[in-house]
Amino acid sequence: MSDILKYEARRRIRGTMALVVLLGLFALLVIYIYPSVEAAAGSIEEWLQTLPSSFQESFAIDAYTTIEGFLASEVYQFVWLLLVGLYLVYMAGGIVAADVETGRIDLLLATPVSRTRVIVEKYLSLLVPIAILNLVMPLFVFGGVIAIGESLAFTDLLLLHVFSIPYLLLTASLGLVLSVVFNRADIAQRGGLALLFMLFVIDSVTTGTDFEWLGAISPTRYFSPIDVLVDAEPDIAGAVILLAAAFALLIASTERFKRADL
Amino acid sequence: MATIDVQGLTKDFGETRAIDNLEFQVREGEIFGYLGPNGAGKTTTLRTLLGFLNPTAGTATVLGADIRDEAALREAKADIGYLPGELSFDEGITGQTFLDYQAELKGDDRLEDMLDLFHPPLDRKIREYSSGNRQMLGIIQTFMHDPDLVIMDEPTGGLDPLMQERLNTFLREERAAGLTIVFSSHILAEVRRVCDRVGIIRHGELVALETLETLLEKGGKRVRIATEEPIKDGAFDLEGVIDEERVGEELHFTFAGNYNDLLDRLAEYTIIDLEVEEPPLEEVFMHFYGENDE
Repeated sequence: MSDILKYEARRRIRGTMALVVLLGLFALLVIYIYPSVEAAAGSIEEWLQTLPSSFQESFAIDAYTTIEGFLASEVYQFVWLLLVGLYLVYMAGGIVAADVETGRIDLLLATPVSRTRVIVEKYLSLLVPIAILNLVMPLFVFGGVIAIGESLAFTDLLLLHVFSIPYLLLTASLGLVLSVVFNRADIAQRGGLALLFMLFVIDSVTTGTDFEWLGAISPTRYFSPIDVLVDAEPDIAGAVILLAAAFALLIASTERFKRADL
Repeated sequence: MATIDVQGLTKDFGETRAIDNLEFQVREGEIFGYLGPNGAGKTTTLRTLLGFLNPTAGTATVLGADIRDEAALREAKADIGYLPGELSFDEGITGQTFLDYQAELKGDDRLEDMLDLFHPPLDRKIREYSSGNRQMLGIIQTFMHDPDLVIMDEPTGGLDPLMQERLNTFLREERAAGLTIVFSSHILAEVRRVCDRVGIIRHGELVALETLETLLEKGGKRVRIATEEPIKDGAFDLEGVIDEERVGEELHFTFAGNYNDLLDRLAEYTIIDLEVEEPPLEEVFMHFYGENDE
């Protein structure tokens, strides 16, 4: 259980490095803006009160002008939940579909490897971006916060990253399901982007409304950067649900892939 | 036991029947030509034999493994080499990286031998490869783990004539060493050069299973004759002449008879131009395997 993983993982390193630098720089930019947000705290809070309640939730309304609330809202709520989630769902969407579509899968499956090994090891190669992003990003963020003379509980930041892993695994599993259902990579990949974005929006717009229950279908409901960073209260049950769902989807994808005509 | 034993193999894609109740065997140590026009079901057959497609009905054994038994077939694949008809690689890696990866998955006992025969630029990215280089890389990976059975789907596509001949020579040597080879093609001449027996597939059905000698007899040649003096009617009424027609000053026919008889007749004329060539495969089907329903 290693040759395929090793090969696939190695191929993910370069793209991940580019992404982490880009996201790190974005985080630094956001942090660089923070002092001016803090200075205008009064009027910003006043403006936030005028937003619909669902928006207020996604902006850590009570704590937006603290460094924790600002980071959670501007960096993690969007970059981590949405952008990194989309990145993973897109990458996972190509795992099987791209190989099947191009016919590359033939040269792999002509060797004495099982289909289960192929799909599981390819899936596990997504741990490369997940691990690197979660290891490097906190350094950018923490460094940036120190650089502007603010302070941040480093353990809370790490906790946030640890609790983002089940969420990111689930987005990868979502992509994987699409990747075995559709034989064309672009459909699986774009479908994944659309699906995750839709789920994110459903969760965002229903929060605090009578339709809040609807957001329960969205993975974003089970992981809140704001809860962890501002309140230091990670959603442990949510993390368990996400992990279980990620695993269940991986099993379902594997079963389908084992029986599929390629 | 036959190296490949195909038993009533059938595969549908939705409403379309791609291959229909195929029955044939590939014997140990032979080169089996799998011949048919494009779209006849050759690739579907080969990909089903390798477990990429699930048979709708029937089955086959490959090196003793039932193709419906994933674990058994997986074990057998350690001794199978496969060259896909449409080769597709990860474009961003070098040929060397590809071979290293394949070596980890199935071994590389014969890699050195193969690299002596075929030498694509291994340090370059596959993206930059010509079609000939891609094909050579494909051929190397087919044989690199010293398989007992090799399945090649249209192997000479993209190869220049020199490389084609090198491949054919190599295949003959390997056969002498006991390797079993399945070689699909839509070109009759190609199959003639190397195969011992030929299975002919058309519209998903096996229409003939012949030894090479029989195929050569049946296949015939296209003959075109241009002469200085007009050719008399019935002048080439020889045994084995079919489909005679006059095209301007020329006489065209398909010939499957004795060449000496033909030469005797030709000697009576002053020949301006003479062509004897392989008939297109479709024509062979039409003449020798019945209906032409298109």
